[in-house]
Amino acid sequence: VSAEFSTVGKSAAPIYGMEKATGVLCFPADVNLPDMLWMKILRSPHAHAKILDVDTSAAREIPGVAAILTHRDVPRVLFGPYQNEIYPLDEEVRFVGDTVAAVAAEDWNVAEEATRAIRVSYQALPAILDPEAGIKSGAPDAVLHYPESHEIKPGDIRPEQLGTYGNIIGLRAGGPTVVNERGDVEKALHQSDAVVERCFRQSEVNAVSHEPRACVAMFQEGQCTLWCSVQDPYRLQDSVARVLKLPMEAVRIVATNLGGAFGVKVTGRFAVLCALLARQTGRPVKIWFTREEESLDSHNRSALTHYVKAGANRDGALTAIKVRTFLDNGYWPYGGLGQNIAFAISTRPVDLYHRCPNVKWEVFAVRTNHPSTGPYRGRADAESHFPIESIMDELAAAIRMDPIEFRLKNRLREGDDLCSAPKKVVSTVWVEEAARKGAETIGWERRDSLANLNSGACKKGMGMAMVIHSCGSNPAGTSEAEVTVDETGRIALFSGTADQGSEQQTTLRQMVAEVLGVSLDDVGGSNADTSTCPFDSGPFSSRTVYATGIAATRAAQDARKKLLERASMFLDEAIEELDLGKKLVWTRSNPSKRVPLGELAKLAGGAISGNGVHNGKDDRLFAYGFAAAFAEVEVDVETGAVEVTRLVSSHDVGRAINPMIVEGQILGGAAQGLGYALSEGFCFDARTGTALNQWFLDLRTPSILDVPDIEPVIVELGEPTHPFGAKGCSEISYVGVAPAIVNAIFHATGARITELPMTPDVVLRALQEMKRRGA
Amino acid sequence: MDSDLHEVTLKINGDTRHLKVPSNWTLNDALRNRLDLTGTKRACDYGGCGSCTVLMDGVDVYSCSILAVEAQGKEILTIEALGNGASPHPLQKTFALSYAAQCGWCTPGMIMSAKALLDHNPNPSEDEVRVALSGVLCRCTGYSSIIQAVLDAARVMRGEA
Repeated sequence: VSAEFSTVGKSAAPIYGMEKATGVLCFPADVNLPDMLWMKILRSPHAHAKILDVDTSAAREIPGVAAILTHRDVPRVLFGPYQNEIYPLDEEVRFVGDTVAAVAAEDWNVAEEATRAIRVSYQALPAILDPEAGIKSGAPDAVLHYPESHEIKPGDIRPEQLGTYGNIIGLRAGGPTVVNERGDVEKALHQSDAVVERCFRQSEVNAVSHEPRACVAMFQEGQCTLWCSVQDPYRLQDSVARVLKLPMEAVRIVATNLGGAFGVKVTGRFAVLCALLARQTGRPVKIWFTREEESLDSHNRSALTHYVKAGANRDGALTAIKVRTFLDNGYWPYGGLGQNIAFAISTRPVDLYHRCPNVKWEVFAVRTNHPSTGPYRGRADAESHFPIESIMDELAAAIRMDPIEFRLKNRLREGDDLCSAPKKVVSTVWVEEAARKGAETIGWERRDSLANLNSGACKKGMGMAMVIHSCGSNPAGTSEAEVTVDETGRIALFSGTADQGSEQQTTLRQMVAEVLGVSLDDVGGSNADTSTCPFDSGPFSSRTVYATGIAATRAAQDARKKLLERASMFLDEAIEELDLGKKLVWTRSNPSKRVPLGELAKLAGGAISGNGVHNGKDDRLFAYGFAAAFAEVEVDVETGAVEVTRLVSSHDVGRAINPMIVEGQILGGAAQGLGYALSEGFCFDARTGTALNQWFLDLRTPSILDVPDIEPVIVELGEPTHPFGAKGCSEISYVGVAPAIVNAIFHATGARITELPMTPDVVLRALQEMKRRGA
Repeated sequence: MDSDLHEVTLKINGDTRHLKVPSNWTLNDALRNRLDLTGTKRACDYGGCGSCTVLMDGVDVYSCSILAVEAQGKEILTIEALGNGASPHPLQKTFALSYAAQCGWCTPGMIMSAKALLDHNPNPSEDEVRVALSGVLCRCTGYSSIIQAVLDAARVMRGEA
């Protein structure tokens, strides 16, 4: 990556920055149409119940009510964000907050009043509210009636087999959802110099996007248009077409800008019902979630329990990792993305410590009567690195080895086989470079003398964690892009990936500008509008810069090739003699012999367009992102309060296409990770399954007073599978923070915290437990 | 329904506007749904996040927690009055250029809160910025770019940059 670029690698101003700062950027919630109705959802007060009867007669009498949908009024067609496994409305409700009915009315007050006037008679059913209890024999089923799916993938439980397998999503009777096994873990543990055993618990967390989901649906001349807060517009297009029995081309989804998404803004009932109501009433219909709805009807990071046992020898060899994980998968009848997440949990940290010869990692993804869980920033890796990085730290202490050196000795190397991506080979592993540069930044050598600075109840410590995460290499993902040049020479990029705050259009257009030798200002375009953009799986798993970036670059290269071919004919010169840039093509030997790009477009009949695709399945070589997080803390051993005084987040980003945006993503991800570490937890009543803190302040996301000046470190050593050497980094920045802090607390106090979030009471309990054992 | 409508006169961004609004409508509802001022966002409905912050008689307030009828006769200032793409307020410029606006949802509230600070303290310290903006939460940035954008805008407004 030694090549010098003119646009790539520069901190160009974000394209949407000014529209955001002046408030003119149009989000789905800002769409107001003439004659528009408002939609409200009636939600279930039960964690699990069968709807015996719904009486809407009183609600229909209310002036201003235009339409009401219950499960009897909607097509029994399956759809869903991850696989087609839910009906638009069902006669069984599976969590507190599940969708029961939808109302469209003249304004939201009336719609709200109407939902309250709907009389529902429920038959309450036993609910599963604790995953470990849910898999005991004789436990009731979290799902009573399974939608009849013809698409169940191998490995999913079939309805007729239920009862045998209880609430576990997966393969075998009574067995885990996935097992990752190699070597002989019991024998290795028996023979290891040091063995550590711990149980870790992590609270469920909500993504807390600031924009509550919105959808506006409109029918005009047979065409259905939805402005909607979704990251997966093509999935929603498919779902709406499927449920409304429309051809795909009759459904248009506009999802150009989202007010934060973090993986969880995906196709849902609210949007499909909004479309159904718009068709039924013949008027535009709008729904805009309240904060309570945004919390409940979302896709959270699972609550988890891990039973971990691991061993190491005094020479620093990691000998064995044995983990049994229980994952609260929420209400999905067929598991949603649970199987996929369980697989990644059990494999990716094992790949990071590839030298470990003995592994047994079982994950039980358990169907419960809690809200959906799904991929939230740092999917699967935030779930698994907290226990693994805690154990690595404790093992290093047990064998008296530096925690960084112990990790590096056992790490993944280029060319290693991957259990997380069979048949794939990771092309670069710059994790050592990230760890060393991070250590240098925080001053790791000060670590041993930090205790000298302790005063009174305040104990100082330093800890680190090393992490791996996908960076767009999701094999299931596909990105297509189109680059056009029009008669004025204007260049446009069409890519169906929504901007949820990462300003990926800026980054993608920088790549296009580089290929075509123009300035960023010369590149326009559109994003996430299914009527103008080719297919993209969406901005998930930090895939945009990598996968969509490859597609956009290929599209620009294709356009470049076509421009040069046409210029070659026009100028009567061989292509090899031509150069392209500044919206011109010229002859190298005679630069005055040239033609503007717009002229070439005119000759081609008005426009020249190039296309590019990246399909994750195709390439054997692919990329993983790596990072190391470092935390310095002060723990008040009398109150249990933890202050993170320094946080360094060091990243293998391959190459930063836009360093300002890369740093912004690292800082933001680390701040969210800080919330996961210290304050956030989405809690449910153990008896009823009712959410206890669905309101904004109670979700305890970090405020400006809670976040220290986080120090981003960027390692740019390239990635040969990407045209500009880039990897994604927006999610991995979240992952290492909680384990780095837990290890810093261990260093400061000797107490091992095994619970997230590490609120003062949790820290105090661990300190007292340590004292009790010592005494 | 009509009996529930109240007449209210609002002074919004220098204009006097007469509206009829339901009694339970907040100032945020009126701005977004009667006046088409959708630059002001809503994220929580109850004063828990600050995305809906506007200035009322020069003070930064949560527009979701003030009834429209309570704003009768008050001077309301929203993000739309500060500037536009062609002629942005210094705060809008520094937020836009330095990636202090990531998803953009808290940005208008953040900028209005920062304006309230700079209006009475043109030379704030970093700590004063943190305290002044602590009523607005951001989920995307980790805040440091926001703090820097406010300090940079303050410098511009003092004529030092």
